Amino acid sequence: MSRKLSTRAKLLLYGVLIVLCVPFVFPTWWMATSSLKPAGDIFAFPPKLFPDDPELDAYRKVFELQPFGQQYFNSMYIAIVVTLGTLAVSSLAGYAFARIRFPGQNILFLVVLTGLLIPSEVTIVPLFQLFHDWGMVDTHWPLILVPVLGAPSVLATFIMRQFFIALPHELEEAARMDGLGRFAIYWRIALPLARPALSAVAIFTFLHSWNLYLEPIVYLSTPEMFTLPQALTQYVDAYGGPMWNVQLAAASLTALPVLAVFVFAQRQFVEGLAHTGLK
Amino acid sequence: MKTLERPRTTAAGPPGDGTRAGKPFWTSRRRDQLAGYLFIAPQLVGTVVFVLIPLVLVVWYSFHEWNVLAGTFHSVGTDNYQKLFDDPKLPGVLQATAYFSVGLVVLNLSLALALAVLLNQKLRGSVVFRTLFFSPVVVSLVAWTIVWGFLLQKNGGINAGLDLIGVKGPNWLRSEGTSMLSAIVVQCFKNVGLNMVLFLAALQGVPRELYEAATVDGAGRWRQFWRITVPLISPTILLTSIITVVGSLQVFAQIAVLTQGGPSGSTTVLVYYLYQQAFNFHHFGYGATLSVLLFVIVLVLTVIQWQMRKKWVFHES
Amino acid sequence: MNSHRQQRTTKLAALAATGLLALTACGSGGDSGGSDDGPVSLRMTVWSGAPEHLKLLNGIADAYRKSHPEVKSIKFDVLPVENYTETLTTRMAGGKAPDLAWIFENSSLDFVSSGALKEVKDDPDVLPAAKRIWQQDGKLYAYPFSTSPFGVFVNLDMLKKSGRPSPAELIKQGKWNWDEVTKTGAAVHAKTGRTGMVIRDFDYKAWDNLATYWDGWGAEAWSADGKTCGFDKPEMIEAMTSLHKAIFDDEAMLAPGTAADFFAGEAAMTVTQMSRASLLTDKFKWDFVPLPEGPKGKYAVIGQAGIAVLAKSAHADAAAEFQAFMTNRENSAKLGAYFPQARTSQLNAATLAKSNAKLSEEQLSSVVIDGIKSGKVKPVHMGQAEIYSAVRSGLDALWKPDADVQKVLTGVCSSIKPQLEQ
Repeated sequence: MSRKLSTRAKLLLYGVLIVLCVPFVFPTWWMATSSLKPAGDIFAFPPKLFPDDPELDAYRKVFELQPFGQQYFNSMYIAIVVTLGTLAVSSLAGYAFARIRFPGQNILFLVVLTGLLIPSEVTIVPLFQLFHDWGMVDTHWPLILVPVLGAPSVLATFIMRQFFIALPHELEEAARMDGLGRFAIYWRIALPLARPALSAVAIFTFLHSWNLYLEPIVYLSTPEMFTLPQALTQYVDAYGGPMWNVQLAAASLTALPVLAVFVFAQRQFVEGLAHTGLK
Repeated sequence: MKTLERPRTTAAGPPGDGTRAGKPFWTSRRRDQLAGYLFIAPQLVGTVVFVLIPLVLVVWYSFHEWNVLAGTFHSVGTDNYQKLFDDPKLPGVLQATAYFSVGLVVLNLSLALALAVLLNQKLRGSVVFRTLFFSPVVVSLVAWTIVWGFLLQKNGGINAGLDLIGVKGPNWLRSEGTSMLSAIVVQCFKNVGLNMVLFLAALQGVPRELYEAATVDGAGRWRQFWRITVPLISPTILLTSIITVVGSLQVFAQIAVLTQGGPSGSTTVLVYYLYQQAFNFHHFGYGATLSVLLFVIVLVLTVIQWQMRKKWVFHES
Repeated sequence: MNSHRQQRTTKLAALAATGLLALTACGSGGDSGGSDDGPVSLRMTVWSGAPEHLKLLNGIADAYRKSHPEVKSIKFDVLPVENYTETLTTRMAGGKAPDLAWIFENSSLDFVSSGALKEVKDDPDVLPAAKRIWQQDGKLYAYPFSTSPFGVFVNLDMLKKSGRPSPAELIKQGKWNWDEVTKTGAAVHAKTGRTGMVIRDFDYKAWDNLATYWDGWGAEAWSADGKTCGFDKPEMIEAMTSLHKAIFDDEAMLAPGTAADFFAGEAAMTVTQMSRASLLTDKFKWDFVPLPEGPKGKYAVIGQAGIAVLAKSAHADAAAEFQAFMTNRENSAKLGAYFPQARTSQLNAATLAKSNAKLSEEQLSSVVIDGIKSGKVKPVHMGQAEIYSAVRSGLDALWKPDADVQKVLTGVCSSIKPQLEQ
């Protein structure tokens, strides 16, 4: 399908692409500009594309009303720890399921796969009890342990397994002849080759942790411990009335830096995702 | 797998290796099996502790009535399952769930595929467009939903845009006809970039020669798309549809932020209903029963999709 | 008894899980959260994370700990206001109930009747009407620490532009009623394009806020004993018909699916509680007046919240003692700075004015004092969340221009029948 296009076809294609961009780009644009407007202008009809008189008042309030910097740090460090943990757990398991033969392998793989099928809402109450018994409520442990070891990492294991299955056998054979043990083969041969799949898993995992909403609400209760999605819904006055421009300012602060990093590193980002080995 | 049986020749081999007729216990095969178990141990233990045990507990709860406030917990046999069959709201909830899932899968997959095909043309600047289409994926879900909640107000940005072209937009989130559609569209634009990238990678893996040959045979673009492209990327279609279907059944934050299940229950999907029953209405026993139902639905759908793979997917390596 | 068995099973599962976890050397150093007999630590859940509120609460807690060295710490857990009750009950389900908690009025009956709360000390200084929803069989289960009457904030600048008389003038003429409010709202919308009247927080979801409207017609959601549905009664149909007309025909009120914030200057009038005065800025001239009269004359509505001690608390006695300290005369006066106290000793304009700098004595006495003395609480029922959700869902059909009011309201009654009969 990738043939040379006529100029007219090209112009048409550009037109279609630009129109299609609107629903993807406009919300972010609106969020960023509205956060600079006074609350009274947010619903001016028709809406203004640029604020008349941009003010940063809402951004000041974001930090005044909540320990937003701390909450930012919480979300960030949890997402990073979860990502690293998931990479370790899922690449090990994925490798073993793909390349090592051991009795019960298929059954155990099926057992692990059930994690893919169980929405977190289903198990939240028993999990809450479990973590309560371990004294881990209102700590970040549930937000780290469950994603790294529980259901969310199963998708990662599945992706890793699919990738390792497709790796040519010859490489490992050679390493084996050189007397390398399993872990060494995994660590020195398989893992470096798995970089595309690893980056895909890293992206999936980071975003999943970054977006987690139900779990923090259930487990955390101290503002200093909150994560960002949870903090975003907290910009209300003491009686639950929303503070629109402050909320939008906080939303912008959670979205824009990540977007900036993404635009900067988008090639690795997107291409990593494309190489999940699932083609 | 013959190589697995080859005795190890390194110094690390167990003493007496190869010197007797009886094999030592730690053959290299056994070592390898042990390595396999150790490699999967964290994931396996995690699944048992954080998925299977809680799942068993949920099933067990579903046979009980549990009043959190009073702290009472007693067995009610299959009452909760009877309630499930008698629940007048459940058909509406299941219908809403099906509507959401089918709508999302159809919209998401077709839009993702369309975008991927457009971006797969030789076009300067397609990386810019790819970046823009993908950008909502990295925006926090709650932030994205909050913003769309504003835009979909009756006097919000969407209707202002429609006003410019002379269309009077509906009250998106407040009328039963459009509330679910709005939820689907918001969710679709958020995540369609993921599927788009997967499709794009698949498209780039389709050998160019096939199209050239087809062109020689006089097949038009549309025909080529259906006869060559779709079959060749069918494994990716299967994967994305499984991920999207399972994901669509787990939608929660979007509904909670956008519509809270309304108006008139039109966006009350199963997960939201389950959350409501357990956490709002304190019917933890019935909530657990709904959890079991949700699990069964996800299980059945996945098995069906996995079975379809055999008929449907062009090749599997 | 059954709960014991259940706990044991959970413990077993947790034990098995812990063992497995330790096997993979992933176990964490989290200690068991059980209670020890040493110094007491108290936790209280609240829904306000406002720094000035927390400062006040921590101040009271610090003062208490000085005189009670056995209490090692008192911690205030802020739960999100949007799903406060859900989060609180999830914690209770997980066996991590706090020792004390703020309770919303709308879940008062659920908590009081379930036995989840410990009886607290009664104080005759607190008005009997304010204690009603927190009592059962003559015992008090929470201190109503906030009894906040609803009134109307008015943007005088906007009314001027619309050419309508101010509420103060209407009150003088004895014409401060919903008919006039609707006229004013319609005029504001026609002249300025802004919104006339906003019943704050209603947003076509939190329908219990509409009590501030239909109480003027003598309507009620259900009878006082909670057994008879009130939605299909003539007075309710009349009230809702009039509301429907004000929204859709006169366009005097905030339309469904739109947003306008009074305090940001987007609406001319709003029905809300006096506590919101803190949101006022000097961007426009404003006034605070009582609710308009309905066909049945003057009326008042209050919102409430209570401080309760959880019966399951490991330190219920210590918690009860702290609760009593927190709500004694001296400290309740401090609470009064943000949360109106329904106490005879504090119900005078001079005392109230000290802590409400933004409101004049006249505004305070006309709205707050009269309101607290005579106000009706918003509708409360057993199984509040379920009945609330059913009504919300049923009323959705009403918020359309061509709705059949009577039919919709009859439908609401039939959908909440199972809950009312319980």
